[in-house]
Amino acid sequence: MPRVPFINDILNYDSLSIVGLQKNTGKTECLKYVLERLPLEQRRVAVTSIGIDGETTDQVTRTQKPEIVLREGMYFGTSEAHYRQRRLVSELIDVSDETTSLGRVVTARALTQGKILLSGPSSSMGLRRWMRDMRRHDIDLVIIDGALSRLSLASPAVSQSMILATGAAYSINMTHLVQRTAFVVDLINLGVTSESNIALLNPLESGMWWIDTDGQLHEMEAVTSLSQQVEFQGMEHCSTLYVAGALVDSFLEKVRKNKQLRHVELVVRDFTKIFVSPQQFRLFEKMGGCIRVLQRSKLIAVTVNPTSPTGYMLDSAMLCDKISQAINLPVYDLLKDRVS
Amino acid sequence: MQLKNVIESPCGLRFMLDRLDLQSGFARRWLLDSSMMTEASEIKASHDVLRRFIDFVNTVDRTHLTTLLFRLQGVKDIRTTIKNLRQVATLDDIELFEVKHLSILASEVTKLLCEHGMCDAVAIPDLSEVITILDPDGLKMASFYIYDSYCAELQDLRKRMRQQPEQQDELLVEAAEIEETVRRDLTRQLHSHVDNIENALVALATVDINLARARQVVDEGLCLPTISTDGTCRYCGMFHPQVKDALSRRSKEFQPVDIWYGLQPTLITGANMGGKTVVLKTLTLCQLLFQFGFGVPASAATIAIKDEVYFCIGDEQSIERGLSSFAAEMKNIDAVIKASRENRRILALIDEPARTTNPTEGTALVQALLKVLATKHMSLVMTTHYDIEPGSAHCLRVKGFDNGSMNYSLVEVAGGEVPHEALTIAESLGIDLEWLSLAREELTKSPNEKTQK
Repeated sequence: MPRVPFINDILNYDSLSIVGLQKNTGKTECLKYVLERLPLEQRRVAVTSIGIDGETTDQVTRTQKPEIVLREGMYFGTSEAHYRQRRLVSELIDVSDETTSLGRVVTARALTQGKILLSGPSSSMGLRRWMRDMRRHDIDLVIIDGALSRLSLASPAVSQSMILATGAAYSINMTHLVQRTAFVVDLINLGVTSESNIALLNPLESGMWWIDTDGQLHEMEAVTSLSQQVEFQGMEHCSTLYVAGALVDSFLEKVRKNKQLRHVELVVRDFTKIFVSPQQFRLFEKMGGCIRVLQRSKLIAVTVNPTSPTGYMLDSAMLCDKISQAINLPVYDLLKDRVS
Repeated sequence: MQLKNVIESPCGLRFMLDRLDLQSGFARRWLLDSSMMTEASEIKASHDVLRRFIDFVNTVDRTHLTTLLFRLQGVKDIRTTIKNLRQVATLDDIELFEVKHLSILASEVTKLLCEHGMCDAVAIPDLSEVITILDPDGLKMASFYIYDSYCAELQDLRKRMRQQPEQQDELLVEAAEIEETVRRDLTRQLHSHVDNIENALVALATVDINLARARQVVDEGLCLPTISTDGTCRYCGMFHPQVKDALSRRSKEFQPVDIWYGLQPTLITGANMGGKTVVLKTLTLCQLLFQFGFGVPASAATIAIKDEVYFCIGDEQSIERGLSSFAAEMKNIDAVIKASRENRRILALIDEPARTTNPTEGTALVQALLKVLATKHMSLVMTTHYDIEPGSAHCLRVKGFDNGSMNYSLVEVAGGEVPHEALTIAESLGIDLEWLSLAREELTKSPNEKTQK
């Protein structure tokens, strides 16, 4: 009997992004695995990828992008240029206003199985608009092939669920790899703050804010958490501290060292806003600090590729085991699982 | 002159265009590229269409209107595709899809309009033959590929692809050749419809633009002006939408203004803060809106058609051109005088000319400007604080402070005498009293005393 771990979990959500911690961590392998096994008779599935705009490596990475095999009946979004290179029969259903360096994003339905190069909207705003359009075509599930190390695209503002691909390409030191992966997973799994906090904080797009013990909202003077002159004066009754922008090391350290704020709940929009080092994060946790998010995406699975691009190979079973212990979630080596 | 050239005019045209609820980017581009109308017949025809749409908007039910607007959102700028088709360059799948998509939209919009007796409001060409060419199976769906039914051989190849996926790559190559032949053939068939396709695209933008204009007329309380035949313009209850909007945000009301001007100069005097600049802005805005086919912000209006509209607001420094505010203003007014010597219909609205220089020379410049322009066959509306001899000018004065509050209405006065309310108004603004009382003392001194200093 073929093993199909986590496929059924995906069906509980209307969107899934697959992100790799590094190139060659098996992201494409994972996408392939998912696309091969999704029950198309139960769900209308659309797949796209996020383009990489504004980077010089753009064309290089694009040409290296592997072709994806689609099954008959699947919908896909790709650029005009890649649509013309398709190796399947497909029916165009939409030409959008989203443009990429390879032309506009077009959406089509596969009429035969076959190969396609995916290059979808190049910004998360564009991606969200495309996903909204997909709802008009009665699509049940959108799968996003994330770009390299662009975790922001796995933001819960974009997709409800995610799969994280990690592996030897990220680090061939197993301990280091396990620690780094566990850190990212911990960020993804940060708890959601209270309903009342969400109601107060969700509309705030910028700045820093705090809520006192009476539930009153106050704005802090400093413009961003990056500012060196952050002062926590008059905040004795602070129960929640909200950073609308990026959360960085220096700010986290200031909060940690401030006795007044010892039991304060620190809130960020979602895990993609956190840019702190594992060391600072762990120290903060150890001192009893607590970070919460307004939105969380469901981490469906972690997959590993034990082989590094230089040919170095970690012990697959041991790696899965160690990561799994560290994050308390099952971890899969999809290539090995398929072989066995 | 195209709309996009005047959109940044300080009269507030952009505000009106930003509030225009257009459904497609193409309609917006088409509108911005449109030219100012200078023929009465043209404006009358555009008003006739707009009036139909206003009636439509007033009577149609919400759901029907929403459906129509939603359809119009789908209109894409496919002019490049149309150009390729005109040159019989073989269209690819994406271009064929665009043509089919547009044709289906055109037929849907036609149907929605016809259901409300709007069949002939905008002529949308019938593209059912185009749809038939691109929908060989009669599926009536806005999707496209090179359908199996175009060619039996293609159908066979695709059947084999499904049966023998391992041979797909070779079969795809074989199919690609046939598909290209089909595309070439489709392009040839569509070529004879290219004018209709292009006209349909423009017609859909026209529907979009007129629906947006009509809703703006209804929502903002605009009117469709009468075209003046004798050069006299009259406005009743004229208002500036942007100023009105800003006031209503502060729970204040805009006081509408009645005004007329003809082919002799009109001089507006009045206290500071009396809304003189707003009057000029509104007159400019109304003139442009009128000649670009929009409703104008007034309860009723009669407007004369002009070939050129000059709005000189005075305080525009031109840093790029290295001109001071005075120099920039002189250059602008100079352009008006030059244009007035040619045989064109001109409206010039000049706000407090020469205000940035000394009052002696300033008064002389304004007096002379009035004399120069009074002899020309043009409309001039000018505001000033200087005491000048109005000559044949039609003089208006802002009523000014009235029972402790500002009355913005304009009253006809015989001469150009200017009000002396600046100090009273400054006082009402809470300006430093020491300063103002010293200013009062200065005023009571006789001219001799001043020169003795």
